[in-house]
Amino acid sequence: MISRLPLKTIRRLLLPTAALCLLLGSARAQQQPVEFPAPERLAVSDDPEDLAGRQLVVKWHKPAAADAVTGYRLGGYLVYVGESREGAELSPAQVVPDPQKTETLLSGLLPSKSYIVQVGALYIPEQVTGELIDLNAVAYLRNQGAVEAKSARSGPISPVGALFDPKKTNVLIATMVYCAIVLLAIYFAQRGEMYIRPIPGLEAVNDAIGRATEMGRPILYVSGLSGITDIATIAAMLILGHLAKRTAAYETSIIVPCNDPLVLTAEREIVHQAYIEAGKPEAYEPENIFYVTDSQFGYAAAVDGIMMRERPAANFFMGMFYAESLILAETGNRTGAIQIAGTDADTQLPFFITACDYTLMGEELYAAGAYLSRNPLLVAQLKGQDIGKVLLAAALVVGTALATLSAYLGPDIVKAFLSWFQI
Amino acid sequence: MRLQIPIALGFLAGAFMIVQFFVPYYALQMYYEQLLDWAIIIGAFALVLGLGSLFRSHIDKIRSRHPDYIYSFVALISFAVMFFFGIFYGVNPRTTFDWIFNNIQVPLEATVFSLLAFFMASAAYRTFRARSVEATLLLVVAVIIMLGRVPITDYIKFVDIHGFSEWLMSIPATAAKRGILFGVALGIVATSLRILLGIERSHLGGGGGAGR
Repeated sequence: MISRLPLKTIRRLLLPTAALCLLLGSARAQQQPVEFPAPERLAVSDDPEDLAGRQLVVKWHKPAAADAVTGYRLGGYLVYVGESREGAELSPAQVVPDPQKTETLLSGLLPSKSYIVQVGALYIPEQVTGELIDLNAVAYLRNQGAVEAKSARSGPISPVGALFDPKKTNVLIATMVYCAIVLLAIYFAQRGEMYIRPIPGLEAVNDAIGRATEMGRPILYVSGLSGITDIATIAAMLILGHLAKRTAAYETSIIVPCNDPLVLTAEREIVHQAYIEAGKPEAYEPENIFYVTDSQFGYAAAVDGIMMRERPAANFFMGMFYAESLILAETGNRTGAIQIAGTDADTQLPFFITACDYTLMGEELYAAGAYLSRNPLLVAQLKGQDIGKVLLAAALVVGTALATLSAYLGPDIVKAFLSWFQI
Repeated sequence: MRLQIPIALGFLAGAFMIVQFFVPYYALQMYYEQLLDWAIIIGAFALVLGLGSLFRSHIDKIRSRHPDYIYSFVALISFAVMFFFGIFYGVNPRTTFDWIFNNIQVPLEATVFSLLAFFMASAAYRTFRARSVEATLLLVVAVIIMLGRVPITDYIKFVDIHGFSEWLMSIPATAAKRGILFGVALGIVATSLRILLGIERSHLGGGGGAGR
């Protein structure tokens, strides 16, 4: 039939027909759905580094055809997590904005629960300039036409916690050995009296109390500027207990300005009990143990003021001190008081040594309670401390020898030895 | 019972703290954090006790017309002023509270801190009088350290004072410091142990120590 048509008519029909065909073809192509490939080979496992049992490691593979999706770019991944129970939904827990990254850690989980994990790849239309920064950006990008392709679910799986941190094995062994030494020393102490070397600072305590009693002046006791959670403050409070018992016997006033309300409460109770034990409850003056301020230099100024006004015959500085140590000790020195200090703050020791008559250095602060009480059980604990020091000194000698010989034996032996002292 | 219950509680809390150090499991860490929160809460309550003590101490001084009772007036009025502005106008930057703090409290503290320089000088003068071998040694070492810290010794070419000063600080001084720290660490463990086991009871009203 076409052959019967005149050539001119055929020419006229050819162009519109071709245009119609192109139009139909294009429309059909537009109707074809674009394939958005999902992340592949999702694998979820416990994080071996996480000993608390709160993390899972999530790994996946980037979709193979992610770069071939026309008109879209892979903007990143969304990691979904949910409990493994009926009806539980997965919720987005984390965003991985880097499309090349295919591993993440899911934290904040509980070891007692099982979880299901899923990863979604987010495809952002090329004309959209926004990025997948965080979970808040997801809603915006979806409104802009971003499409998500989710992987298959993985799980159930639970994070596994450890009941022991193997990195702390050396600490555990050292602690147990040292505790055993102290306990053995305490056990053997019950069989006989033990000799302890005299500590001049503690020998002078009685002299200081005697001096204050003779002069009719009070004793000032400062238990450092740390809180009650500091072991140095606790040691200072233990010393106060022994000291207060002696001052109670002589009915000598003891002034205790505090910079921590909890320390105040504990020290009042300690001094009160000491006075009761000494049989002088009526001599206890609660108003002499008072709160000043928690401001470091405010406290120093207040204590300096007390020293200048009340002129105590003896000043005790026990516990943890900072930059105020010399301000306190030097003012006390100017008042002519006998001064006994004790601290484990190595940076403040030179100041106390300079300005005080006697200074308990480091461990002597912790030995003071036992020394003053002369109780055999407490004295035995000092023996345990000494044995511990000998062991540490031996370790130092061995370490020094190994370090010296490492030139001949190689560095590995030193590293192996040092690894025992590292966490 | 008055002694046994606190000792038992102390032992349990202390033992838990030791165990949690070695056991990283989530549940134990959670309870550990809860215990720390409790400590903060107790601390907040204790602050009220501290304030009560502060007020009582100053009011007693005013009542008894203590020779320095004027200072008690200053302390109480200062407290009232800061309390008023803090409660009613807030403590944020650019508030009156903040202004008072920055222009009165901070300079006052700085003044006390600056006294340290003078106290250091007077303490050094007293200590460095070379009356014994130890004092002489201290004086010599201190002079070397001080010279090692000032730039003028750069011009002294025949002896390396900087290097010697650094050596003194990093070898003998550090060795002594570490020796002290070892003793401190052992003392801390031993003290903790005797409190946990109830051997040391002076803080509970057993001034003589154990066995009572």
